[in-house]
Amino acid sequence: MGRFVPKDLPRRLIARTALAAAALALALPGAAGAADKFRPVIQEPHYGDALFHFYQEHYFSSVTGLMVSQHFERVAKHADEAEVLRGGLLLSYGLHREAGEIFAQLIEKGAPPAVQDRAWFYLAKIRYQRGFLAEASDALARIGKNLPPDLQEEHVLLHGNVLMASGAFAEAAKMLASLPKDHSAGPYVRYNLGVALIKNGEVADGTAMLELVGRGKAVDEETRSLRDHANLALGFSALRQQRPDLAKTALERVRLSGMLANRALLGFGWADAEAKDPRRALVAWTELAGREVSDAAVLEARLAVPYAYSELSAFGQAMDGFNAALEKFDSEGKALDESIAAIRSGALLNGLLQSNPGEEMGWFWNIRVLPEMAHSGNLAQVLAQHDFQEAFKNYRDLNFLAKNLQTWLDKLVAFEDMLTNRRKAYADRLPQIRAQAAEAGLGDLQRRHDALASQLERAEVETDAAAFADSKQADMLERIASARQTIAANAGDASLVDAAEQLRRVEGALTWQLAQEFPARVWETRKALQAVDAGLAQARQREAALARAQVDEPVRFDRFGQRIAELAHRIRALVPRVAALKAEQQGQVQELAVAELVRQKERLAEYVTQARFAVAQLHDRAHLAQDGEHAKQP
Amino acid sequence: MMTKPSIVNRAATALLALTTLFALPVAWSADARPAKAAPEAHAKAAATLGLDGRVQDVKGDVIRLNRDLLVLEEELLFPANTQVAVFVSMDVGKLFALDSVQVTLDDKVVSSYLYTPLEVQALHRGGVQRIHVGNLKTGEHTLTAFFTGQGPHERDYKRGATVKFEKTTGAKYIELRIKDSTGKLQPEFDVKVWQ
Repeated sequence: MGRFVPKDLPRRLIARTALAAAALALALPGAAGAADKFRPVIQEPHYGDALFHFYQEHYFSSVTGLMVSQHFERVAKHADEAEVLRGGLLLSYGLHREAGEIFAQLIEKGAPPAVQDRAWFYLAKIRYQRGFLAEASDALARIGKNLPPDLQEEHVLLHGNVLMASGAFAEAAKMLASLPKDHSAGPYVRYNLGVALIKNGEVADGTAMLELVGRGKAVDEETRSLRDHANLALGFSALRQQRPDLAKTALERVRLSGMLANRALLGFGWADAEAKDPRRALVAWTELAGREVSDAAVLEARLAVPYAYSELSAFGQAMDGFNAALEKFDSEGKALDESIAAIRSGALLNGLLQSNPGEEMGWFWNIRVLPEMAHSGNLAQVLAQHDFQEAFKNYRDLNFLAKNLQTWLDKLVAFEDMLTNRRKAYADRLPQIRAQAAEAGLGDLQRRHDALASQLERAEVETDAAAFADSKQADMLERIASARQTIAANAGDASLVDAAEQLRRVEGALTWQLAQEFPARVWETRKALQAVDAGLAQARQREAALARAQVDEPVRFDRFGQRIAELAHRIRALVPRVAALKAEQQGQVQELAVAELVRQKERLAEYVTQARFAVAQLHDRAHLAQDGEHAKQP
Repeated sequence: MMTKPSIVNRAATALLALTTLFALPVAWSADARPAKAAPEAHAKAAATLGLDGRVQDVKGDVIRLNRDLLVLEEELLFPANTQVAVFVSMDVGKLFALDSVQVTLDDKVVSSYLYTPLEVQALHRGGVQRIHVGNLKTGEHTLTAFFTGQGPHERDYKRGATVKFEKTTGAKYIELRIKDSTGKLQPEFDVKVWQ
């Protein structure tokens, strides 16, 4: 299994760089750019949590987590930023309508200028994507001066694209000239503009634009690939203008090891042929004809080589070449048939899914590795096409959604079990708790409390200090009373006179002590009674809560049960929808691949016709020559 | 001599066919609006758009469903009156290369997390990771976090931070913060309890 560098890498790259920068800007209030330079100020951790997933390109987790936090009002301090982020994430999933509504609402409600400018920018983007060019221009015109730095460049890019799509190429060129030279998307835009200008007949301007890309610096594989594309486009454009010298100069700059090398070699040969130098053309074409035959350029070289021989009057070699080409075309035709059958059996999509796994729904995701299947080389071209990549991305997303729904169905079963257990635990515990509550005898406690309160009040009114006597004092009072009774019973006994006097003093001292302690004891008792009050109130609250819980908890369980049932119903309704769309999408993806292979078969049939025609011509020529020889003989 | 036109003309046709490969749509971008096309292609594009539109609709429905399911999950498993969530954030973080974090709540390990470079990068950019979500009774609790990684001069570094907090009836959010102390040229670790 080989690494696969898609042919139209630049097309996705521009989207990737544009979206990455835009997405970054989405998350950074008021300033965007190098992440380390501009960090958002996090005022609520849950907003930071959404960014944590977002920065890891876990967009599904980010958007769903953000929506949950919005539901619980945990990102209120980032309300506008959260909406811009949500809108951008939904936009990335192609939910134009919802994203558009979010941005329009931000504008309507009079969000701060920086937010409004970003909202207008994304509205312009949505309108452009949907083909509403005038409306996109209108939105672009409403953007003020509050876009973050990276979005300002995106703004220029978007404006350039809108102008290009409107056919205003000169204005687009002027607009795009204002982009910084080192802007990552600059070469892609110049490429697009160059191709557009040439298509529009403005060859000189288009060529100049493509030259900038074709001769520009390339720092990585992706920009090198783009440079190859530009040089190839320049080469073929020059060939169409019958300028072989210019064509060769441009084609020479295409890397021999790159994805476009075959086409460059083919063009190089045609440039030599155009310059009436079939011998030199043979150098490029012979090299090309020996390469992997599934490439269209290689197939064409199989014809071009014998053609060059015929031009050099090497008719025998030309005949051999055409016959060999016919054999190759035949085997290639069979290979294409096998590939078509394999695609229709589902082998292609299964292989692609296995060889290109990913965690979440795609955005920047794309096919990097060819699947393990026979003649996969035939598919390189179709797999590299934007339409195929996008359709396959949808298929892969639907696969993700199907798994997501299944995971939730399993979880809901666990939630139902959990709820059943909670109901049971509640039912088991309720009698115990009720018994405990009854045991506590709150009513009795309240009565005892009330009795104490009235005792306190009486003692306070009557200044009954003895009522506050502690146990020792109470014991003392009792003993005094008992002694007094004894003395009273023996009133005539002279020996008790001293004892009576002593008792009087002790009683006086105790009364004095109790009188002294009376205010403090009243305060302490009142305080203790207040604590009992609070305790009783708490107990009453608990009792009320228990009573409420007895009503509320079953209702709460029922509500959870209803929600689980309702969500399970929604999941079950979505499962067949996703499955049907997945099947439909699979059919579409497969037919895109099949259509490309059918096109290859048609081209092959055309090559076969050409080869047979050439063979017939060579036979005719040989017969004519033979007849001529016979005619010369006496 | 063999007459030139047949193969040359045909090859030229092939060449033109090949050249069309390079006459790419104006905007080479996923953002590109649909290019102008022949009526037949238009009809095909409309059918494709129809499927694409339905796929986008179902994506929207599943996203909203996921939101509702996650809300249910949170309310069921981590009700607000008992919920406690622990977050990790990094302010600059140039003096500390984070490897892992261990969180204990009342001496019980509730999370041990080993970071990938992508996660560390996300923290550097201002992301905040929810490392733990669980339930606690009301009252006083102790949270301790141990951070391991590499400090200045690529030295192995392990530091702890602890906080006592009161769990009330509302959800409690606690943020473990990794900061750079430019004065001491050392990383700092502290804990913020969100109100």
